[in-house]
Amino acid sequence: MEQVGKGYSSTQGGKSSLKTTASFKGKDDMAKRGRKVQFDYEDSLDANINLSSKSGGKGGIPNGKGNWSKGGKGDKANGVKTPVTKQAAPLQLNIEQELPEDAKCLMDCEAAQILQGIQEQMVILSEDPNIKIPISFDRGLQYAKSGSEYTSPQSVRRVLEYPFVVIFVTLKKHGASDGEICTIANTCPESVDEVFALIPSFKEHEVWVGLIAVNGEMSKGKHRKLREPLKDALSELAKLKHSIKP
Amino acid sequence: MFFHIVLERNMQLHPRHFGRDLRDKLVAKLMKDVEGTCSGRHGFVVAITGVEHVGKGLIRDGTGFVTFPVKYQCVVFRPFKGEILEAVVTMVNKMGFFAEAGPVQIFVSNHLIPDDMEFQSGDMPNYTTSDGSVKIQKDSEVRLKIIGTRVDATEIFCIGTIKDDFLGVISDPGATS
Repeated sequence: MEQVGKGYSSTQGGKSSLKTTASFKGKDDMAKRGRKVQFDYEDSLDANINLSSKSGGKGGIPNGKGNWSKGGKGDKANGVKTPVTKQAAPLQLNIEQELPEDAKCLMDCEAAQILQGIQEQMVILSEDPNIKIPISFDRGLQYAKSGSEYTSPQSVRRVLEYPFVVIFVTLKKHGASDGEICTIANTCPESVDEVFALIPSFKEHEVWVGLIAVNGEMSKGKHRKLREPLKDALSELAKLKHSIKP
Repeated sequence: MFFHIVLERNMQLHPRHFGRDLRDKLVAKLMKDVEGTCSGRHGFVVAITGVEHVGKGLIRDGTGFVTFPVKYQCVVFRPFKGEILEAVVTMVNKMGFFAEAGPVQIFVSNHLIPDDMEFQSGDMPNYTTSDGSVKIQKDSEVRLKIIGTRVDATEIFCIGTIKDDFLGVISDPGATS
């Protein structure tokens, strides 16, 4: 797979931007304007925010008496304008908050299977001239088929569910979502770095996971970084992709 | 991204459809009315996969029409900000390029194309790197990130970017030969 977009460092990721988001919450509306995509994740994230603002938050939190009209009040350290305004927050997926709770994310290969089943039924229904297949159906099916590297959704689910899904489930407590998991299946990333670049919110989940499934059994006390199980999952998916797709 | 979702709708049915196949008529009308529509909240309704429940009909005053509350399952496609999509380029011009991912149209402005890619006019307008190794033209497949959406009555229009890590051309139709 050819990749462009070189020269754009992936270092503009989660932590620093999170720090800025947290720092200016309720303090500086000017800085927030134009960046409406704000994500308030739960505990683990808050922990990160607190940590980072403690450790390196020089220009992060302006003092209560800070006069923001002056601009750059909080950066005594380097004497330049606050980098906050220039720093672009990485755009993150926020699917769960925008859709009803009962909505279930589908991987492209799953959608392709469902739509293909419907299409076969449509052949029978199409004898009825009143029923026409909408354009969006054809386009949706075409997209789902072209986007699904895996022709067997069950296999993909199996790979993601056993034993790895346990990790994802555990991660959900840290903010990982079905949408992110489906994005992995849809984009077929080849490396962990690719996952982190495409789904910046995953960086936030790169925490020590307390519960890990080893051969399907939960074993408490063993801590492992997300990067490693993610790597395992990707290599399993890659095997599946190559073995299924000639 | 595709979703499986349960939606509800009040369907009005003319009395001439009443009879043994009332439910079939109702479902057919539902498919006709709903499939292919688009809303900001749910995106494109690609297909109805099942009808969960048809409620009791209510006769409307003054007309013979009866309103039935229908709960149905459907597959919807909705793009989200921050989502990664693989789209097919449909048009290239000096302002940027248009691409399609399923029923969704995406515009990628030239500001959101890597700086090392320049617009080349001609029979087949394209964006090419200086060494010619990467080319974006009609029918190229690109991986992009959605950064903005606008919802119309019948379509969703998105703004995308390929100016980021691991985004850009994934297959070039010209490179196959």
